[in-house]
Amino acid sequence: MTDRTDSTGTQPLRTDALRADVADILGVSPAEIGDDDDLVDAGLDSVRLLALLNRWQVAGTSVSFLDLAERPTVAAWAGLLAPAGE
Amino acid sequence: MTATEAVPAAVSGPRDEAPAKRLALTGAQRGVWFAQAIDPANPVFNTGEYLELRGALDPAALVAAAQRAVVEADALHVRFAEDGSGVPWQHRVLPEAGEMPVIDVSAEADPRQAAEDAMRRDLWRPLDLSTDAMFANALFRLGPDHWAWYHRFHHIVIDYFGMSLLSRRAAELYSALVADAAPAASRFRPLEELVAEDEAYAASARHTDDRAYWTRRLAGRPAQVGLALGSAPTSHRFTRSVAELPPGLLERLEAAAARLGTVWPQLVAAAAGVLVSRVTGCSDVVLGWPVMGRMGSVAMRVPAMVVNVPPLRLTVDDGQPLSALLAHVAAESREVARHGRYRYEDLSRDLGVVPGGPRLFGPQVNVMPFEPDLRFAGIAAVAHNLSAGPVDDLTFNVYLRGRHEGLQLEVDANPALYSPEAVRAHQRRLVHLLAALADADPDTLVGDLDALPPDERDLVVRGWNDTARPVPATTLPELFAAQAARTPTALALVPDGGRALTYVELDERASRLATVLRAHGAGPGRVVAVALDRSVDLVVSLYAAHKAGAAYLPLDPDHPADRLAFMLEDAAPVCVVCDEATAGRLPAGMATVRADDAAAKPSEDAAGSPAGPDDPAYVIYTSGSTGRPKGVVVPHRGIVNRLLWMQDAYRLGPDDRVVQKTPAGFDVSVWEFFWPLLAGATLVLARPGGHRDPAYLADLFVRARVTTAHFVPSMLQAFLDEPSAAATCGSLRRVVCSGEALPEAAVRRFHTTLPGVELHNLYGPTEASVDVTAWACRPEAPAGPVPIGRPVWNTRTYVLDQRGRPVPVGAVGELYLAGVQVADGYLNRPDLTAERFLPDPFVPGERMYRTGDLARWRFDGALDYLGRNDDQVKIRGQRIELGEIESVLQAHPCVSAAAVVAREDRPGDRYLAAYVVPAGDVDVPELRKHLARSLPDAMVPSAFVTLDALPVTVNGKLDRKALPQPVRDQSNGADVPRTPMQEILCGLFADVLGLERVGPDDGFFELGGHSLLAAQLAARVRAVLGRDVPLGSVFAAPTPRGLAQLVEQGRDGDALAGLLPLRSGGSAPALFCIHPAGGLGWCYAGLLQEVPREHPVYAVQARGLDGREALPGSLQEMAADYVRQIQAVQPTGPYHLLGWSVGGVIAHETAVRLQQAGEQVGVLALLDAYPSEQWASLPPPDESDALTALLLMAGLDPATAPLPQPLRREDVIAHLRANGSAVGGLDASTLAAVVGVVANNAALMRAHRHSGFAGDALFVAATQPVARPLFAVPDGTLDRDGWASHISGELQLMELACTHPELVRPDVLRAIASVVARRLSQAPQLLPPRSDR
Repeated sequence: MTDRTDSTGTQPLRTDALRADVADILGVSPAEIGDDDDLVDAGLDSVRLLALLNRWQVAGTSVSFLDLAERPTVAAWAGLLAPAGE
Repeated sequence: MTATEAVPAAVSGPRDEAPAKRLALTGAQRGVWFAQAIDPANPVFNTGEYLELRGALDPAALVAAAQRAVVEADALHVRFAEDGSGVPWQHRVLPEAGEMPVIDVSAEADPRQAAEDAMRRDLWRPLDLSTDAMFANALFRLGPDHWAWYHRFHHIVIDYFGMSLLSRRAAELYSALVADAAPAASRFRPLEELVAEDEAYAASARHTDDRAYWTRRLAGRPAQVGLALGSAPTSHRFTRSVAELPPGLLERLEAAAARLGTVWPQLVAAAAGVLVSRVTGCSDVVLGWPVMGRMGSVAMRVPAMVVNVPPLRLTVDDGQPLSALLAHVAAESREVARHGRYRYEDLSRDLGVVPGGPRLFGPQVNVMPFEPDLRFAGIAAVAHNLSAGPVDDLTFNVYLRGRHEGLQLEVDANPALYSPEAVRAHQRRLVHLLAALADADPDTLVGDLDALPPDERDLVVRGWNDTARPVPATTLPELFAAQAARTPTALALVPDGGRALTYVELDERASRLATVLRAHGAGPGRVVAVALDRSVDLVVSLYAAHKAGAAYLPLDPDHPADRLAFMLEDAAPVCVVCDEATAGRLPAGMATVRADDAAAKPSEDAAGSPAGPDDPAYVIYTSGSTGRPKGVVVPHRGIVNRLLWMQDAYRLGPDDRVVQKTPAGFDVSVWEFFWPLLAGATLVLARPGGHRDPAYLADLFVRARVTTAHFVPSMLQAFLDEPSAAATCGSLRRVVCSGEALPEAAVRRFHTTLPGVELHNLYGPTEASVDVTAWACRPEAPAGPVPIGRPVWNTRTYVLDQRGRPVPVGAVGELYLAGVQVADGYLNRPDLTAERFLPDPFVPGERMYRTGDLARWRFDGALDYLGRNDDQVKIRGQRIELGEIESVLQAHPCVSAAAVVAREDRPGDRYLAAYVVPAGDVDVPELRKHLARSLPDAMVPSAFVTLDALPVTVNGKLDRKALPQPVRDQSNGADVPRTPMQEILCGLFADVLGLERVGPDDGFFELGGHSLLAAQLAARVRAVLGRDVPLGSVFAAPTPRGLAQLVEQGRDGDALAGLLPLRSGGSAPALFCIHPAGGLGWCYAGLLQEVPREHPVYAVQARGLDGREALPGSLQEMAADYVRQIQAVQPTGPYHLLGWSVGGVIAHETAVRLQQAGEQVGVLALLDAYPSEQWASLPPPDESDALTALLLMAGLDPATAPLPQPLRREDVIAHLRANGSAVGGLDASTLAAVVGVVANNAALMRAHRHSGFAGDALFVAATQPVARPLFAVPDGTLDRDGWASHISGELQLMELACTHPELVRPDVLRAIASVVARRLSQAPQLLPPRSDR
């Protein structure tokens, strides 16, 4: 797993930071969430996803609800949230 | 190229697919399909919204974009159908954009309103799922640069999220069009992928796990989940209340959510959970929590119907901190997300949710935060929802439409359950709770959150209790004395059949007796017992006790000696006033005073202090749950308030006459005794016992010109049943009801029977001076339960929950009473008094009485009464504690445990049943005697059941619902079908449900039916009866009897009709089945299943079954009559005839006559029928033979029936009923007619001479011999070959290994029908009418 920094140079969004955000919104420990776990099985629903999206948009990321919702795993999201060109 | 020119190319979407391919429905679609099929005309499944656009819009480009988006959305272009077994499917149609008119409403006075009106007109048009397009579009011009794009869809093809996918795609297309750029390719995916995914889920282990999770999670779910009691079918409309939430609330909620470690939508769920728990009074709450259902699924890209509404079950524990509740909501909502694909419709079925029963969930909480800025080339769109689909209960829709808009709360509710006020009230409460949650800290106890907004709290605590009214501090004897002084010579007392007394006469007699009582020690704070039947002496004694300053204690001379002895010991009266008749029933050693003795004694001055307002006026005993009655002590202050209020409210005048008919031991009698005589009116005394006799009362009312009367509601109904009751409206002015719930139907009947007479419904316990609330029942009142009204003067009524908090308006709570009428308490029972008479938490220093009654506030400030929260019951108005009866029962040495319940197994038939676990040999008559020794008659149960053990619930409490129904006389025959249609339907119900037998009043859903089975049933009824039965009929009338009524609507449903259509309709020639000897043709119903639908089937039944029509004089005459009847329903041949037994002989003759008339006869089927000449020498049948015929018609074998010979009518009827036969439902006069018909048919047959039939006939032979020859036929007498001389063609033989009676058994008939069906199919079709030939 490599560190990633987004192109605007703000807070880097690493996979484990992403996992921590997901765990926080679900109210579980990050250790309970594997890269390829279906987050629906972990209890993710649309309102929690929106809260996450909101958090990340505030942090400057632009990714759509649809894209995240289509493949709800940490691994897929890490790809989506990676800055263009990487 | 302009933007609009791009349209045609864009619209010509993917048209090359094969359109007719059948596709299964997804689970989500199936849910909508069934709901719509139940009520095809319901438009509520149309969902719609409009997007408001402000800016320089290019309308043509918008139309093009919208149409193209629709064409791209594959799942919208379907139609639906169902196969014969009730399973729906869908098929594709060519994608069409459809018309999209542009409508300019800018010239209207209110353009938005005009546009919305037009949209709603479109929205409320029901769609036909098999033929109509599933969507519509229109663009409204509201003004310059102001537009509204309206789109409407059937919910079966789309949900809210799907709609947003479409809008988003249209915006994308529009933006490209106006920029003259190529739009991005559509990312929508086809419907097939969704269906495939859905089918894969249904077959997966995940599906099984999800089902297991939900059944486990919902075990023991609460009975009440909604904010309103009961349930209602999906209505055609919904009531909507819209509120903008306070500015900044979203930010406060977000901050609170962050503080509490959650997300704000879960605060909405928590607030709704608290609200529901406060309204239901139950910590167990089940909300509907819609989930998008698309996460990680192809559905994310399919604009289709996907959304699911799983239940969110919460425990709202008032003792927990808020942080715990929110952690609980978070954990539960995660589980919902995990298992949220399992359809709630399937779950409802798994759990046996039936219409009208406990629902799966109460309010839905639907938070829709996903609508970040939707822009059409820079023009922002604001969505306005018009309909979000059906609303079974109530839905809280919370929208976040862009941050600058803030939160919006729309409450949609089923108008059948919620009034507009209720919807608004729930909305205000939710907003209030949300604000409270936003400001609460994590340690706040859930119980400290206030569900009542301040104005509502003020209304229920103070506003509706603002009853203060100055009342003089006086006593009943002072009020009477003042009246006697005003009108000394007016008539005070008119006994029925005795001498009337004037005010002054009554005053003098009471004064004389008071002197005697004083001599015995009567005075303020002391008690004088009165043991007299209704009489002038009784009234004199009560007034005398008061004049002496004492309270009176009424004793019913009919009560058991034990009970009287207990009361006398407990109340310790100074003496008992009695007469010759009653003295003997009193325990020895009591000081007694003879009311009649006192009349002779001269009045002498015996000074004594009068009672004051706080001294007791009377002591009345009521049933006590711990096994002995308790005496309620009521002071003058309370009863004076009650009577002066009553006089102010109803205004008795000098010409009023009030009847005294309530026994003195029942506190209603107090106003009867004392109100008229403080108002100058006259008291009319009914004769003792007369209060139970409606005819006597009606007569008395007329004779004595009674203007005012009291009735317990059950007695009022009996009175209204009395034909002479109507005559009482000549004098009657008002009727006052109290003592038990007043049914709405009784009120309606009252106003019809006694027009112009007032009816008042009063409520109150003995502990609060008779009555504390009142309601005037007006004829023009809207439908609904009859309220108990509003508090009387100086009285407060509180409806509180278990923690003593006021419940919201409309919610059920326990009724507490406060104010001047609250009694002092229970005599000698400080423990009980402290338990029920509590400090008033709202008015310091005052007391309130805890009634144990359940009530709710209506929005107009009146109260509804809703029963008890304990084991107190009322039987004909008498208040009974079941515990008192139980403890007396348990005191018997042969009883180890006992339970008593009030049952109402048939409406209006309320009775007490005792369940006894014996500790030895139990002798029921002995138990009755034991109870009667200490309990009044009304408290002795009328049914006794012995059990090995009392059933208990999981909590170890008595499980009252599990107590069996006592076997009582069931002579009304309600449990057998009464018409052939009912019998057919009973059979179909049983088939579909997989049961052996179903009675006509058994409910489909109670027996395990569900929506899928209902669809099957509807399909079977259609197939068998050939009548179109919409699925909704099964829900509207879920019993065989009810459904039979619906099916028979609009045609003669007379089961005794000459020509009984077992199945009408159908284009092919009918099959006419001629009755057997007994004249009824119901036995042929079993043919329907196998005879193809296009053939109608008629039973031809005998004349005279009604007991009035003349019986035919010959078989020829009979056949000629049948030919006329047959030709009336089918003017031309070919005619198909069938007859069993005697019916075969008649069928033959009918066929001959049809041929003689030049008509063609197709099938002639003779079911074990023998030519008439073979009968000629046999003796005529007797009554026993006629009854045999009756059994035969019901398909029962008389030879094997366990009945004594010769047969008797009552045995035969009982046997018919026990076997579920409709024939057993016949009334006595029809049975007599049947016997006559049998005799006549037997005689006619013996006299008949056959003519020749030209053609073949089918002979169905029953080859098994019967155990006892029928009609005493000697062996070898009957020979089918005898037909050879009456039939020119072939007698084709079908042999069945059954007995003659078994030929009409359903399975045998089916075999016969399949052979007949083959012949029907070979016969020519209907010939044209003769004139055309």
